[in-house]
Amino acid sequence: MILPALIFVPFTGALLAFLPLKNAARCFLFLAVALVHAGLVASCWRQLPAAQFDGALVLDPLGLIMLSIDTFLFLSLAVYMIGYFEHEQRNNRNFMACLLFVLSAMSVVAMSYHMGLLWVSVETTTLLSAPLISFHRTPQSLEATWKYLLICSVGIALALLGTFFLAIAAHDVHTLLLPSLLNGAPLLLVNWLKLSVIFLFVGYGCKMGLAPTHSWKPEAYGQATGMVVVVMAGALTQCAFLALLRVSQICHKTGLTEFYGSILILSAVLSLIVPALFVLGEKNIKRAFAYSSIEHMGLLVLGLGLGGAGVFGALFHMINNALAKVIMFFTAGSIAQKYGSARVGDVRGVLHVYPVTGVFLIVGFLAGTGMFPFATFHSELMILNAAITSKHYVLAVVVVACLALVFVGIGRIILEAAQGEASAPVLEKKENIFMNTAIGLGAAGLFVLGVWLPVPLERVIRAAAALVGA
Amino acid sequence: MLMMVFDVCSHGLLVLVLAPLFVGVIARVKARFAGRTGPSLLQPFFDLRRLFFKNSVYSRTTTWVFRAAPLVVFAAMLALSLLVPLGISRAPAAFTGDILWLAAMLGLARFFMITAALDTGFSMEGMGASREAFFACLGELALFMNFITLALLAHGFSLSGMIGVDAPLSWEHAGPALLLVAASLFIVLLAENCRIPVDDPDTHLELTMIHEVMILEHSGIDLAYMLYGAAVKLLLFAAILVPLVIPFRTGYPPVDMGIFLGGVTGMAVLVGVVESVMARLRLNRVRNFLLIAFVLAFFAFIVGLWRM
Amino acid sequence: MTAWIDASCILIVFFALAMLATHRLIGVIQLFAAQAFVLGFVPFFLHAHDLSGRDITLALGTLVLKAGLVPYILFWAIRRVSMRSEIKPIIGVGASLIFGALLIAGAFWVSLSLKLPGKPLSDLILPCSLATVLLGFMIMVTRTLAVAQVLGYLMMENGIFLFGLSLFDAMPVIMEMGILLDIFVAVFIMAIVVNHINEAFERSPGSNRGKMGESG
Repeated sequence: MILPALIFVPFTGALLAFLPLKNAARCFLFLAVALVHAGLVASCWRQLPAAQFDGALVLDPLGLIMLSIDTFLFLSLAVYMIGYFEHEQRNNRNFMACLLFVLSAMSVVAMSYHMGLLWVSVETTTLLSAPLISFHRTPQSLEATWKYLLICSVGIALALLGTFFLAIAAHDVHTLLLPSLLNGAPLLLVNWLKLSVIFLFVGYGCKMGLAPTHSWKPEAYGQATGMVVVVMAGALTQCAFLALLRVSQICHKTGLTEFYGSILILSAVLSLIVPALFVLGEKNIKRAFAYSSIEHMGLLVLGLGLGGAGVFGALFHMINNALAKVIMFFTAGSIAQKYGSARVGDVRGVLHVYPVTGVFLIVGFLAGTGMFPFATFHSELMILNAAITSKHYVLAVVVVACLALVFVGIGRIILEAAQGEASAPVLEKKENIFMNTAIGLGAAGLFVLGVWLPVPLERVIRAAAALVGA
Repeated sequence: MLMMVFDVCSHGLLVLVLAPLFVGVIARVKARFAGRTGPSLLQPFFDLRRLFFKNSVYSRTTTWVFRAAPLVVFAAMLALSLLVPLGISRAPAAFTGDILWLAAMLGLARFFMITAALDTGFSMEGMGASREAFFACLGELALFMNFITLALLAHGFSLSGMIGVDAPLSWEHAGPALLLVAASLFIVLLAENCRIPVDDPDTHLELTMIHEVMILEHSGIDLAYMLYGAAVKLLLFAAILVPLVIPFRTGYPPVDMGIFLGGVTGMAVLVGVVESVMARLRLNRVRNFLLIAFVLAFFAFIVGLWRM
Repeated sequence: MTAWIDASCILIVFFALAMLATHRLIGVIQLFAAQAFVLGFVPFFLHAHDLSGRDITLALGTLVLKAGLVPYILFWAIRRVSMRSEIKPIIGVGASLIFGALLIAGAFWVSLSLKLPGKPLSDLILPCSLATVLLGFMIMVTRTLAVAQVLGYLMMENGIFLFGLSLFDAMPVIMEMGILLDIFVAVFIMAIVVNHINEAFERSPGSNRGKMGESG
């Protein structure tokens, strides 16, 4: 009964959030839910639970990785928000409820083994995350919400069309359950399957924020609070990636790996080049990090497209990316709260006023751009390695050049914000212990993974990569 | 030979009798909608009779064109009526490609109407003429698109074949396209006959009207010809539309004729209802209204091709 | 029953075209409701001979949610926007109509090369649903009013749903209800955002009522 519990615990928490409580009380409710959820996920690591609902809900290694990422993010979020809501007067009822609903829906995404259910749950996460962006209800944040809603809705609608095409391709299988599709792979109609793969990729790619449908990302990440962005960049976009991984499972069984891989690589190159160009002129820390997020999505897709060792790299990068996002966007969010802005002109000399936050800002920059000794370095190297071993030399050069450009672009503004003459913050000059604990949690995790990959984790990633056929 | 003369005469008589009745039904429906009893159904006959016994007044600036126009319009409409079957009364002059003749007659009537309006030298009539010419361009586009679709569906270029007098188009086979053609033709009917969303047939001397302003200078017997011509035109459009909407024959002539007459009456009621519930469109939107008719016809054409 | 399915498909595209040509926001919402109403009857026509609980659930779900609640919510969202508010398209109505006609032709052309497996009840479902999706997308791209964009999105969904209705064996009914519910939630959230946008414009000085509900 663990699988339904994973869904219903956050769901109940979301309903409880509607009770007339104080902001702080809701924070502790959130922490309690996150702890229970984490405990449930931890028990899944000992043994994968049995399938539920006629095989529609199954937790496999892929889902387990995703679920662990979700639960870690929410745990650190629970710690962080205790600090954040010390300085926030606005009622957080809807905010908390939406976050918990999103966690519930994301749990469904992680374990849905039915392509229709997968669509429904991904769509639900999109819709419920939209109100989170405009928490402060400024006109700019509303515009960002609108952009996010529209682009993602169109994307998700295309994914629905793709799911229906898949249903046509599976005309002789009579179901969209993943195991049946994989076992009945020879029965699938290849033409319809190809069409379906294209639509599913474009649809879920919109949700991931791959170029050229990335335009909602800088807006939404720039306007939403750091907490929301961590959920979006670390969990929601990677949920969409999980959907792409499921598609890849089907392609692997039907011999469409080449076809799918070429689409993935093409889109990955675009998603690497576009942020590399746009980040150079950016002045806003959050928006710059948003471009870095597009880049990371490109890397994930690239790893999947290359296959072989690249898949392992991509799966490892999923975890690292989530951890890096915790450091980057929690720090950016805490700076934005302290200074009332995230623009470099307004934010200066963070190191002098808030030494810890300043250090985390630099750590976040290094982790986000994939520097040693953080684990992002290793996973990026794995993906690069896969490109070279599969003789994609030009591709490897492009990847390195883009990563270097993003490094320069982000480094320029981060160093300017961290050092130099201090500008006056809006809040009092005090570090917040809860916020820093949450960020430290992410940094420590990323550092540990950078120097030591635990055996159980490696085994699960290997098993997950084997599912995709690597 | 004698048979043919008889055919033409009876057909013409039917047209001449039905046309004013059609206008009468519309007037009655509109009156009912406005909460009045309305004039007798025969009122258009009385009006025409009154006008036929009056002399015309001509302005000094007008030339022979102005005098010829009413007769040409009326004659063109009668010639056109020979192509259109009315229930069991077959079209006396049907031949392959007669839709072009139909278009030619419509064009001839319109040409004379417009030149006569310009001939008066009255600025408002000129304005109406220019509008008439513009809307006719778009209307004819839609009309022809519909005829092309019908030709595709019926595999023939004769109007009688198209609207299926002998072998009705089956709804099973051509239904979807037929639905669109009917909708499109209805819009064309409203536009070509200057009914309400496009033009208001009841108002005179208003800056926005089209048809009524063009016959403002005609009087007496000339006006009677113009009005009669307009009524015949309206009836003929309805007669083209009805077999498309009710595409079946029982085989018993009296029943078929009854169905046809019922259909035409229904069409008149429909026009009356539309006139009562809709407001006249703003002039720059009439263009879009006619474009809808064209797009619907185009859509029907595609569906027709799809089902080939 | 094929004739009825055909007629429904044609009507759905017809309403889509009418939405392209309509200037008033209220008119567009009413047309959308009409389209959803027709869509709601398609399950009945599809399985007229052996009507199951599934068809009735789907039909009722569509009718209640899409033809009833969704238009109601949209009316609620625009209640503060002036009732005479007109849709301001980026390209004119005439041009968008002609473009729409081309899109329909394109949808039929694409459908020529797509062959549905099995024996579909009507060969018009595929091209008509594609055409509706394309027209909806076009409305979304070319309209500046937020509610009009929502309507474009909903029209896209209607097209996709029309297509999905014909796939009865692969999708359990609970899944399709989930899809319906998701769309409903989407509209609900969009309506709330539209409402917030209106409020934000009301608050900020120098905004004129004509701009309300408009977004980038």
